[in-house]
Amino acid sequence: MDEIALRLPSTMTQAEIKLCSLLLQEHFGEIVEKIGVHLIRTGSQPLRVIAHDTGTSLDQVKKALCVLIQHNLVSYQVHKRGVVEYEAQCSRVLRMLRYPRYIYTTKTLYSDTGELIVEELLLNGKLTMSAVVKKVADRLTETMEDGKTMDYAEVSNTFVRLADTHFVQRCPSVPTTENSDPGPPPPAPTLVINEKDMYLVPKLSLIGKGKRRRSSDEDAAGEPKAKRPKHTTDNKEPIPDDGIYWQANLDRFHQHFRDQAIVSAVANRMDQTSSEIVRTMLRMSEITTSSSAPFTQPLSSNEIFRSLPVGYNISKQVLDQYLTLLADDPLEFVGKSGDSGGGMYVINLHKALASLATATLESVVQERFGSRCARIFRLVLQKKHLEQKQVEDFAMIPAKEAKDMLYKMLSENFMSLQEIPKTPDHAPSRTFYLYTVNILSAARMLLHRCYKSIANLIERRQFETKENKRLLEKSQRVEAIIASMQATGAEEAQLQEIEEMITAPERQQLETLKRNVNKLDASEIQVDETIFLLESYH
Amino acid sequence: MSAESPPGQDWGRGHGAAEVAEPGFKRADFPPQLLLHWPRKLTNRELREAGLERHRLEEAQYISSWPRRGLRVGEGQQPLEFRPVPLPSGEEGEYVLALKQELRGAMRQLPYFIRPAVPKRDVERYSDKYQMSGPIDNAIDWNPDWRRLPRELKIRVRKLQKERITILLPKRPPKTTEDKEETIQKLETLEKKEEEVTSEEDEEKEEEEEKEEEEEEEYDEEEHEEETDYIMSYFDNGEDFGGDSDDNMDEAIY
Repeated sequence: MDEIALRLPSTMTQAEIKLCSLLLQEHFGEIVEKIGVHLIRTGSQPLRVIAHDTGTSLDQVKKALCVLIQHNLVSYQVHKRGVVEYEAQCSRVLRMLRYPRYIYTTKTLYSDTGELIVEELLLNGKLTMSAVVKKVADRLTETMEDGKTMDYAEVSNTFVRLADTHFVQRCPSVPTTENSDPGPPPPAPTLVINEKDMYLVPKLSLIGKGKRRRSSDEDAAGEPKAKRPKHTTDNKEPIPDDGIYWQANLDRFHQHFRDQAIVSAVANRMDQTSSEIVRTMLRMSEITTSSSAPFTQPLSSNEIFRSLPVGYNISKQVLDQYLTLLADDPLEFVGKSGDSGGGMYVINLHKALASLATATLESVVQERFGSRCARIFRLVLQKKHLEQKQVEDFAMIPAKEAKDMLYKMLSENFMSLQEIPKTPDHAPSRTFYLYTVNILSAARMLLHRCYKSIANLIERRQFETKENKRLLEKSQRVEAIIASMQATGAEEAQLQEIEEMITAPERQQLETLKRNVNKLDASEIQVDETIFLLESYH
Repeated sequence: MSAESPPGQDWGRGHGAAEVAEPGFKRADFPPQLLLHWPRKLTNRELREAGLERHRLEEAQYISSWPRRGLRVGEGQQPLEFRPVPLPSGEEGEYVLALKQELRGAMRQLPYFIRPAVPKRDVERYSDKYQMSGPIDNAIDWNPDWRRLPRELKIRVRKLQKERITILLPKRPPKTTEDKEETIQKLETLEKKEEEVTSEEDEEKEEEEEKEEEEEEEYDEEEHEEETDYIMSYFDNGEDFGGDSDDNMDEAIY
């Protein structure tokens, strides 16, 4: 099997590939983009074939692959005869859109320290714990008042907490060979990880404080540094957790986002207390339920009562009433699976995600086509299959308008037509045409549109920036001049003069540019939230 | 167009091909890519390329940059029926936005951002010697853990060792002939011999040094030091000691 090395065609759509290309180019440059997109398109390939097919030099391909592997975007596998093949993970590339959201979420849960830990892990792909702690301590020290430093211990503690709650995880590592292998070393190591070890923090005693980057230090260090090669000092100190690398656990973040979405949906539909109960149930099932499970493990009412947050003083009876209400709700977020322990309840994750995806679809129809169209859409969703005449009657919309709206939604693939022939010859006059909404395919269509939207947003933003490149460079130069003048102590009048180098219309142009770029960026973030919901639904 | 003229009309031979009256500029004035004939509806690709072409022409000042009428939302070909919902604003939205833009900038500065090599200019410039052009093409700025990667991905930097040594040898004799312009031949040959000896010694020294430092990939500094008479930093590796003779004080030795 390996000999033939079947290359399956990539299952990624053009829109996804285009988006991957834009993301890679923006974050890693053109060379990495070329290699990455090629791998996404063609599937698994060895080094020389990549270099040949893309027309890039072998060294450039090697550099690009190193970067991609470091960032968990490409994986490799050793095939027979020692050929190593590289494969790109397209969906992982698309996750780069979500980096700000991951970092912000960590900030809300573990404050600035946690935020920087996850940021460093995402920016560098993977790092050892000691490296992360040092970097984060240095960065935090920079922001602190003069004379204060961030202790390594505090950063380590936050790191341990992140590992305990599975937000960061260990990367598969090189297996420690027993050295009984007499043959030549393999062309590539096979990395393994034990399930148990994935969140095991090595016992390190990291002692130290963050260092501030002082300009005076740099001058003093500049000269002796030139005499010594840079890396000798680092190499001399043994790294205690050498070889143990950590990465951000994106699945865990996705689970958190999903929980957030469900809780806020319940809060919108019912009230604060119900959402708190649902949040408690989800928190209890965090570690025990896998992210792709259809529903959580059954939780008894007693357990839930004990696990409610400390501030909530509702009695057991009230809790039971709430649980019954939740279970009876037509949306079926919560289901009752038994009566022992005061009632066993589960959260129907699949149903919840389906409801969220449907709500997204409804919202899109409403915003794009108007509220009447949305009414028809919801009607067909509810009744599953409807004829045109029935739609007019149930929705109480005049025939001409109803027909127009139905056709519009049909043409945009929000709805589909089901033919039911009355006679074997499928004559149109003797066939039922039923309008129906296939949620799965409509969601997929919308997801595809979202990918195209983000690609358009990114391209437009790049275009806007490029159009004003000259002006941006000028403004940056002026800012740099002002900054250096302020540092060396300059008078107001001089600063004023320099500032006037940018004329008023140019300032206006810069303002407009900034506003536009902000709007485009914010739109990207918004569309990514929709993408998350739709992708979770599959 | 067919070369046959309709019977009965005396149009002469020359009018076989269709000559469309050009509006006033000659086709030769424009770069060959510009389409003046639009025989059919343009495809999206052609439109996009024409857009890029126009940008290039504007920059090259072939055509004036006509101010583009600012199109606002809903003013294009298809009027918008329903305006988009406002984007989320507020503290969270602002923070995430700022974070996104900061990350974008940060990633461009990291060593993982690989810039394509600057194309070599046709003429070698004097300033090229003094410009630190970043890592030598073959090297990576950061140190991946090579134990985790396939061996074939490791870029061998040993090549430079040999390159550097070959650079040294031809460098030294010409330098001394410069210094010793018209002086006594004997002194010259003597010096040359000294050069070779010292440069050989230096070779060996460097080979050892480099074997130790094989992991380091910063040859920029040292390479530049060799090639110039001006020492970039105060690093004195002793090579210039044997090189410039004390007789000639054309340049100060630091």
